[in-house]
Amino acid sequence: MKFGLFYEISVPRPWGPDTEHKVYHNALEQVRLADELGFDQVWAVEHHFLEEYSHCSAPEIFLTACAMQTKNIRIGHGIVVCVPEFNNPIKIAERTATMDIMSNGRLEVGTGRSATWTELGGFEANPDETKKTWDEYVRILPQMWTQERFGYQGRAFSMPTRTILPKPYQKPHPPMWVAVTSPGTELDAADRGLGSLGLTFGGFAEQEEKIAEYRRRIQYCDPVAEFVNEQVNTTNFLFCHEDRDTGIETGKRLSGTFNYLAEQLLAARQAYPSRSYPNLGLLPALRRESTAPTEGNVPEGLAIGDPDRVIEVIKKWEAVGVDRINFLLNANETVPQEQVLESLRLFGKEVMPKFANKAEEKEAVSVGGGE
Amino acid sequence: MPLTGTLDLSPYAGEAPLVEDLGTAQWELKEASILQILYEIDEVGLTSLLPPALHPTIPPTLLVNATKVPDSSVGPFTLAEVRIGCRAATRPRGYLARAICNSEDAASELRKRWGYPVDVAEVDLVKTHYSVELSVIEDDELILEAALIDPEPISGNDIQYLANLNLARVNRDGKPVTRLIQVDPEYTFHAADRGQAQITDIDPGAWRLEEALPVYPVSASYARADITMPAIRFLIDPEQPPLKSVERVDK
Repeated sequence: MKFGLFYEISVPRPWGPDTEHKVYHNALEQVRLADELGFDQVWAVEHHFLEEYSHCSAPEIFLTACAMQTKNIRIGHGIVVCVPEFNNPIKIAERTATMDIMSNGRLEVGTGRSATWTELGGFEANPDETKKTWDEYVRILPQMWTQERFGYQGRAFSMPTRTILPKPYQKPHPPMWVAVTSPGTELDAADRGLGSLGLTFGGFAEQEEKIAEYRRRIQYCDPVAEFVNEQVNTTNFLFCHEDRDTGIETGKRLSGTFNYLAEQLLAARQAYPSRSYPNLGLLPALRRESTAPTEGNVPEGLAIGDPDRVIEVIKKWEAVGVDRINFLLNANETVPQEQVLESLRLFGKEVMPKFANKAEEKEAVSVGGGE
Repeated sequence: MPLTGTLDLSPYAGEAPLVEDLGTAQWELKEASILQILYEIDEVGLTSLLPPALHPTIPPTLLVNATKVPDSSVGPFTLAEVRIGCRAATRPRGYLARAICNSEDAASELRKRWGYPVDVAEVDLVKTHYSVELSVIEDDELILEAALIDPEPISGNDIQYLANLNLARVNRDGKPVTRLIQVDPEYTFHAADRGQAQITDIDPGAWRLEEALPVYPVSASYARADITMPAIRFLIDPEQPPLKSVERVDK
């Protein structure tokens, strides 16, 4: 089991001249501490226009700052929105290669397509097209990274032959992931040999079933990248405190704030009838989480409470097949920064050692993972 | 925390429909035709069109709905509604700014049983193979003209209808108080289309939209469905903060 951080960069109103600055620099301080404590990865999303919920519209900049201030922690650029109106694939290939160089080969690339009308409408992107353009992007990005010269005539994107520079530091290229929010997307990941970057907080039984199917399907995948990345990464909340009740209550406040903000988003499906968005994406999963099976008075599977409880929860996630857990540490700064850092330190001291000997996580297997 | 509405309800509270019996029965409306048009509206309407109990959507949105019922217990009718997209705490809802119905009998049912702020005027909903067109004329003035252009078939399950929040008065300790009545019908779809959304004419004053004009078309859908108007389950105190405003209706 490996541990990471996950950032939406939520910024509470009222927005003073220093509010965003403070939130960003609090996050950077947390990342530096996480690196010292031995966390494996830090992820930052790409979102646009999502007031309060996420002010993380240029994650590549934030993540480069993270890379420059840390030594070992891996840098998760994800998800990158694979929709032409948001990102030209040439620019994605160029900037991710540069980030990989600047981080000395620590980059991981998550891919996705956006799930809100606020964002899709803001870029005047067609919701019917996003799944298709994502599928095209994940197939051409590895070629752009690995081929000396690249030309392409495609459906959503074409270019004459050019040399896309620079090339990634990691060879053949950084690991690739897919954001899994909608049910069934984990199978899209499996069929293409991509890592499953879970952004939901469903209960153990639901996740176990999904992971089993992902593992089964990826054995027969047709890899789009140069290697199969068979890994399951999931997202959780973290608040760890010596006193169980304090940990639980603070953690519930954190998760409740995050969920409340998430429910305000105008999902693509709510605004635009389309087969491309058969469900609400992240939103229903978050809602389910708040009404999911509970352990005591805590929604099942949340890493909140004292170290013993957090260890117990993570062991259950490990047992259902999760390889990595990324933690949201705060939402709208509802937890004071010093408490966030204390929670991280306690997690590093009491919880991480319990999983240290199991760190020989499945590394990406070589291409041809299918039979 | 998210923005909340700033609408002063005092001009509307006195004329809000009085719902004397919250235990209304369901109402079956068979083979209804439903047009829904979604637009983004001017930022001036971000909070000013919603009461304090509700959060605005971002961007602010306006929903035009028209429901044509070929027959019912009070005869055929067509209802036009203009709603503001919002959240009641975390739940997606549509705050009903105003409704117009072409049948006094149906308007009376909607008013007294579910608190619709509905008046009677001319409403027409016409479907062709190239469009679905809605027009509303009140006092010889066209106050709304909207359409779905170039329909193409989809599944009814792809359409999302938001529950209404209707500003009404209910009795509390013998006195009428204002409440938002949640109206969340059930739909059984027979057919559905989507197309381009178009609002060609709207009188914002007639629909209580102040200066907030629709500015950007988002989507349009049309469906044939059986509608079950629901029993009333929830009320919202419109003046309270979102997390303190919901009341469950006792059976």
